[in-house]
Amino acid sequence: MILLGLMALTFVSGRIPFTGKPYPLKYPASFGNRTNIPPGNPLTKEGVYLGRRLFYEKMLSANNKISCGTCHMQRLAFTDGKAFSTGIGGVPTDRNAMSLANLLWVKNFFWDGRASSLEQQALTPLTAPHEMGQLPAISAEKLRRSKLYPGLFRAAFGTNTISGEEIVKALAQFERTLISAGSPYDRYLDGQYQPDSAALRGMQLFMTAPAPERKVRGANCGHCHGGPKLYIELFHNNGLDSIPRDAGREKQTGIAADKGRFRVPTLRNIALTAPYMHDGRFGTLEEVLDHYSDHIRNSPSLSPVLRNNSNEAGGVSLRLSKQEQKDIIAFLQLLTDSSFITNPAFSNPFN
Amino acid sequence: MQYKLTTCLLITLFSAATAFSQTISVEGEVTHPLKLSAADIGKMPKKEITAADRDGKPHRYSGVPVTAILQQAGVTLGAQLKGENMSKYLLVKSGDGYEVLFSLAELDSAFTDRVIILADQVDGQPLPDGKGPFRIIVPGEKKPARWIWEVTTMAVRFAKD
Repeated sequence: MILLGLMALTFVSGRIPFTGKPYPLKYPASFGNRTNIPPGNPLTKEGVYLGRRLFYEKMLSANNKISCGTCHMQRLAFTDGKAFSTGIGGVPTDRNAMSLANLLWVKNFFWDGRASSLEQQALTPLTAPHEMGQLPAISAEKLRRSKLYPGLFRAAFGTNTISGEEIVKALAQFERTLISAGSPYDRYLDGQYQPDSAALRGMQLFMTAPAPERKVRGANCGHCHGGPKLYIELFHNNGLDSIPRDAGREKQTGIAADKGRFRVPTLRNIALTAPYMHDGRFGTLEEVLDHYSDHIRNSPSLSPVLRNNSNEAGGVSLRLSKQEQKDIIAFLQLLTDSSFITNPAFSNPFN
Repeated sequence: MQYKLTTCLLITLFSAATAFSQTISVEGEVTHPLKLSAADIGKMPKKEITAADRDGKPHRYSGVPVTAILQQAGVTLGAQLKGENMSKYLLVKSGDGYEVLFSLAELDSAFTDRVIILADQVDGQPLPDGKGPFRIIVPGEKKPARWIWEVTTMAVRFAKD
């Protein structure tokens, strides 16, 4: 563990990089420019291309059978449809594989926010014994022996050697290009799409806080999943359990207030990324809505946003009608970005 | 007896879980970076204000003026708040990741009579679970979106443009 930590530090610090052709990032102005690109790893066309190949490269795993793309499939918005993923040993991971969309703006990676850059994040799945299970130095050695990779690393970083540091840098560059901004909801925000009446009702509920004393009905989803990117970078306990089996961010920080807290994930492509929650406990969006509507579990670290958040005076859960839940799901369908899951620039170059 | 002991133990455990003791870090453009404990803040001058939360009802909030904390850290307030210091801001961060910003001028008593406090009590009670132990209270604002709870960090920075 200490060794991994030291390696992480070494890889992330780094030297001044070779500069290739800058990779132009395109995204809506409404996404803002508070991006997370470490100064030592600017995006280049060559770096992003190399990163894409490495993302789908099975040589990066100990048994040469698993790549990042195995658990992060483009057609499922870079998830794998499983509650827990299995790597080289067939042993399931501790948490659900997260969608990889709009990571350019994320500051704290993983469900518990323990990595502050994609470079640092990549080291965990690459090396974890039950994921890809191979030290970056060994991956680098395997790539050095290939015909293809020495030239690609030279083009991307200007070096004749291949190092673990360069592997994670290239992976991070590619992942930063995975921008999703082409859903019907984006077109609606742009004035180019008219949602049907169910989706419009769902959107109204999604964006509105319930206030039974004023007879205002709402689901208040947008409080945490709002804005054009459909998330705010927060860690909340969303009332799944009174005593959580997985303590979440508390394991990272040791702070009791963090018990059962996990990242608020983006809802982009949410219809494609089942099962849901950090442990994949809900197989459908209907189950997710049922949780927020009727099954919020109280605990000292329950998010204050989910306390006294009900359509019934004094209620402990939202208490939405079945029709309201259906309408919200109709709205969530508008967040599916078909151009993102079919973009050839993100696809497996080995196919 | 055993039942009583168990209950007692459970209560102790529960209290330990709910009393989220945390320090507040005051950092950035300061001459004296601080790590303030609840005891440190308890020694500072108290201020009580009445303001309405999201429920629309007025509550009595008691705490410490934010400027008292910033002064202790050596932030450029009062006579020093001019020139380039006018482009400084205070970023307040919560344990849940939320962040809100104040310009120094909107906090400073040389500029405004409004006193923004770091509260530890509401209506004579400690702040409820999830909102404590410290919460910023901004009187006179229509939305309480800057009433950031579970404050962990107060960072003073220069706006960079």
